[in-house]
Amino acid sequence: MSYLLTTLTKKEDVDSIIRDTIDKLLVLRFGRSSDSVCLLLDDILSKSEQDVSKFASIALVDVDSEEIQVYVKYFDITLIPSTVFFFNAQHMKMDSGSADHTKWVGAFHRKQDFIDVVEEIFRGAMKGKLIVNCPLPPERIPKFQLLYKGV
Amino acid sequence: MANLEDSFLADLEDLSDNDNENLDEDSGDGEHMEEDVNGDLADIEALNYDDLDSVSKLQKTQRYTDIMKKVEDALETGSNMSNQGMVLEDDPEYQLIVDCNTLSVDIENEIVIIHNFIRDKYRLKFPELESLVHHPIDYARVVKKIGNEVDLTLVDLEGLLPSAVIMVVSVTASTTSGKPLPQDILQKTIEACDRALTLDESKKKVLDFVESRMGYIAPNLSAIVGSAVAAKLMGTAGGLTSLAKMPACNVQILGTKKKTLAGFSTATSQFRVGYIEQTEVFQTTPPALKMRACRLVAAKSTLAARVDSIRGDPSGKQGRAYREEIRKKIEKWQEPPPAKQPKPLPVPDSEPKKKRGGRRLRKMKERYAITDMRKLANRMQFGVPEESSLGDGLGEGYGMLGQAGNGKLRVSVGQSKLAAKVAKKFKGKQYSSGGATSGLTSSLAFTPVQGIDLIDPQADANRLGSGTQSTYFSETGTFSKIKRT
Repeated sequence: MSYLLTTLTKKEDVDSIIRDTIDKLLVLRFGRSSDSVCLLLDDILSKSEQDVSKFASIALVDVDSEEIQVYVKYFDITLIPSTVFFFNAQHMKMDSGSADHTKWVGAFHRKQDFIDVVEEIFRGAMKGKLIVNCPLPPERIPKFQLLYKGV
Repeated sequence: MANLEDSFLADLEDLSDNDNENLDEDSGDGEHMEEDVNGDLADIEALNYDDLDSVSKLQKTQRYTDIMKKVEDALETGSNMSNQGMVLEDDPEYQLIVDCNTLSVDIENEIVIIHNFIRDKYRLKFPELESLVHHPIDYARVVKKIGNEVDLTLVDLEGLLPSAVIMVVSVTASTTSGKPLPQDILQKTIEACDRALTLDESKKKVLDFVESRMGYIAPNLSAIVGSAVAAKLMGTAGGLTSLAKMPACNVQILGTKKKTLAGFSTATSQFRVGYIEQTEVFQTTPPALKMRACRLVAAKSTLAARVDSIRGDPSGKQGRAYREEIRKKIEKWQEPPPAKQPKPLPVPDSEPKKKRGGRRLRKMKERYAITDMRKLANRMQFGVPEESSLGDGLGEGYGMLGQAGNGKLRVSVGQSKLAAKVAKKFKGKQYSSGGATSGLTSSLAFTPVQGIDLIDPQADANRLGSGTQSTYFSETGTFSKIKRT
């Protein structure tokens, strides 16, 4: 499914896309195309890309490439897939009741869930907030456990 | 108006030799419609005419016979298109066609007159038939078939009328109030029917002839609607120029059949479609687009007729262009609508929400509005410390509530704005006699006999001693009796 969305493997590409997406939400999915959960997420992303095209743009980042490891370390990406949101080069956080607010871990249950999340983050960003609340009910938020190093 | 004088003179001659007419009467070629008009007037004036010939003269005229002969000749010889070079007006064939057109209109009128004649005669026998069978030629045929017969089961009307109409006619005939006709009247009626039928035949011949020449007369018009329909249109309109002068909406209606008998379903009948219905264009359009197509064809054919009437395009190119235009337009109507593109979602919060207003919203908002009590509590007087719920500045402050100046600790529930408006309106509506209304008068009064009795308030002011109202405490009442004691 990822052939429908732009896949980034180089660091400059990621930099440039973060810098160049102006007044639109940028959705960066960190994952690999062989993972099954990743494939689910990618499917939803590609289907909703056209719908949210007016206020969001989506890109996939391959987590196995060496240049990207910098970002993996920076964003502390341990579970695949993880989705990070940017608005005008600002990192947007979302409180979904889970431990990690800086990214969204896992896939979405439905396409509409993803669109709701994107809309909510966009609204908050337009208002100037840096963190927003998740509009989804807890049943539809994928649960995960943070792995700490050495624990 | 030499023609008029001539025709009057000719008619005077006619009247004198009325009973001795034969086919070779010379009444000159100048007679026109005046003849029929005079016939009509004579018809109305002499209501108890007996003679068919005093009514219908057309068949006897020279003009009629001349034209019919020429038409028959021309039909036999076939078309000869050797007259391209000639100016139209000089062409004898064109003149013949113009005459044919006027003649066909005359024949129509003549048929109507004869129909009236037959109807009047046959009324004694079968009065209801005229309302059952509208078309004059059909009527004439039916009258001829039935003759003087009383029992309609012996008469076979198959092929003359649609079977539903035959049924109705048979049923009505069985209960008709008519009586059989005397023999001479019957004879005259049958003669009139024959006359009508021959006129119809000749009209058909004339129209056939015109139709065959249509491609030469009106090439553009025939390019659009086809020569048969073009001939019919021209015939009904009374010539190419008259057709050209008509607005397109009239052209659309030309040749509409009158509506069928009451009782038959009108669901399948098409409204306002005449000869245009018979064109190929109309027949090949899907039923949903038929009305639009009819209007379109009528409009373009009117334009083509106008072009033809001034011979602007003898080759018929314009007509073919119109035909192509019509075809393209109808095709365009049948195109499926463009496929729906999936639209991306709109940017959130980019469209401002539509605020609604109105009485209902205002009433709802009133429930959460700031009350007067709260307003007073929010304010403070200058230099005067406010009281507070726990005393000494602790707790909630009371503001101006209960201050010396106001003296209102308890503020009554103020009338909401809406309620104030309504109360004002209602007060105006209430009946009030001038300014002096006492508290005891009312506009409603109950009597034990009548129930509620609404009294005119003006009258109330005059009446003092009415049994329904107490005047004891009335302000408008005066002393009724003062006795000197």
